[in-house]
Amino acid sequence: MKFVCLNCETYMSFEKVEKPAEGSLGVFFGCPSCGAKFSMVTNPGETQMVSSLGVQLGGRTVAAEPFEMTRGTLKEEALAGKGQMAAYLNEKLQAGQQAGASASATAATPSAQKKEEEKSGAGCPFSAMVAQMGLTSSGSQTGSSSIKSEFTWTPDAKERLERLPSFVKPMVQSSIEAYARRQGYTTITLQVMDDSKNDTNGIAWTPDAEKRLENIPDFIRPMARREIERMAKERGATTITAQVMDEAKEKFMKFM
Amino acid sequence: MAPGKDLKAILGKLQYSDDAKVVQQITEQMKQVQARMAGIKHKLVVMSGKGGVGKSMTTVNLALAFARQGYRVGLLDVDLNGPCVPRMLGMHGQSLRMTQEGALPPVGPLGVKVGSMDFFLHAASPVRWKGPMDLSPVWLGVMEMNVIREFLADIIWGDLDFLLTDLPPGAAADKPPVMAGFIPDLAGAIVVTTASEVASDVVQKSVTYARDMGIRVLGMIENMSQYRCPSCGVEHELIEGNTEAMCEALDIPLLGRIPFDRTLARTFDKGAPLLDEQYPTIRRYQEIAERVSALLDYRKVLAEKL
Repeated sequence: MKFVCLNCETYMSFEKVEKPAEGSLGVFFGCPSCGAKFSMVTNPGETQMVSSLGVQLGGRTVAAEPFEMTRGTLKEEALAGKGQMAAYLNEKLQAGQQAGASASATAATPSAQKKEEEKSGAGCPFSAMVAQMGLTSSGSQTGSSSIKSEFTWTPDAKERLERLPSFVKPMVQSSIEAYARRQGYTTITLQVMDDSKNDTNGIAWTPDAEKRLENIPDFIRPMARREIERMAKERGATTITAQVMDEAKEKFMKFM
Repeated sequence: MAPGKDLKAILGKLQYSDDAKVVQQITEQMKQVQARMAGIKHKLVVMSGKGGVGKSMTTVNLALAFARQGYRVGLLDVDLNGPCVPRMLGMHGQSLRMTQEGALPPVGPLGVKVGSMDFFLHAASPVRWKGPMDLSPVWLGVMEMNVIREFLADIIWGDLDFLLTDLPPGAAADKPPVMAGFIPDLAGAIVVTTASEVASDVVQKSVTYARDMGIRVLGMIENMSQYRCPSCGVEHELIEGNTEAMCEALDIPLLGRIPFDRTLARTFDKGAPLLDEQYPTIRRYQEIAERVSALLDYRKVLAEKL
């Protein structure tokens, strides 16, 4: 925060910080031209916000202790006693907090009500635990399966999408439709679905390059594919060929 | 304002100076984090958008798995309001030792160094902050960010091969960007889920969010995949689901599946963790740790196998 002396059209200089009351800071500024003095006084909330940044206005005179802010702000380690100003403002803030706490308690209730008893496997301590954690083994969902879309989905494409687990369906649908939008399609067919899966933002893979990628352990393959495509793009290539793979290998050899 | 004075025009002529030295101090704080992190080879976060999926159990066991492989490991529990890592490792009641150079972390099983809010709390005490704004969500956000900063900047981690950070549940919104902001060379995130569709639905959103924040998601661990019978050791299905489908849709690898193991869980509950590397569930953690190592060193794998 800075202050401007409008008479002299210059920033006022920071001079010092004092504590006029517990939980309050008095920050003093002076105009370097006309010498006018000015003090800004913070309320406890503003003081606390500054201290939570772990900084001292005007700079530190001694180095910070380890965990200075954490230890200084934990209630259990707090020093007893508060100034009048802090107490006064605290009272006002506490009134607001009670309302907030009440709202929070109300909000928690529907969530608790949502927890359902896991009926299958009754008597098993693990099913009870799973239910307690809010995890369910609900299996396939039976909710509405109609696809809402700006695109026309052919029946066979729609059927394939419906076969996916419900929780990945929105993501897959969104990905296919994004691909269709980029390509200017208005109808999603099985072919569009296949093409979208192989869409690599304009990068094609030759069969022999794909085959070489299979040498990479499956859990590293997605990362390898992305890295090779990134490298190809940097070099202006649009197709990953055996030669591009050789170049990639050569590049990676440098990291060994 | 004085008549005839145009503040915009005045400010245009002035040069800003940080004479309260706030920007300078924040810059120095960041430099201190960088200095502490400099000795750590791989910084990882373990996260999940869903609570109760076994994130801390996974983080602790991955840390132990890396330690068993001979790596120097640190474990940072940034679940500020529900820290449980020290209890799981039998370190509850210990504390950080404050020195002029910083805070020395207690050392747990297999030499794992641990940082946790638990070290500041008395038994059964919740985290409570002092001051008039202790219930203000805005202030709490700033406060927690800076507490995490102190955990990164003030603990003398020394040279480590791995620092694993256990993020709190429901941390999809704030903690990943905080961590990514403090640690620009964050190696990546490991995401924990259960097969439950409820969990998968939430977890996939946190993966998308982490990616938006520029965090590399290394892979997914499916926890509580099966139930290992403590009597006969046979594994049975526990939760129906399809984590493979989610991983395929997200284009990330499934790093492994961990059964719910009552025997193993009980040892961590008691603060006397089972450390036998031949134990079947621990072997699974070992395999996952090996995959994570390979992913972090993927260039070497590509150079060898491409």
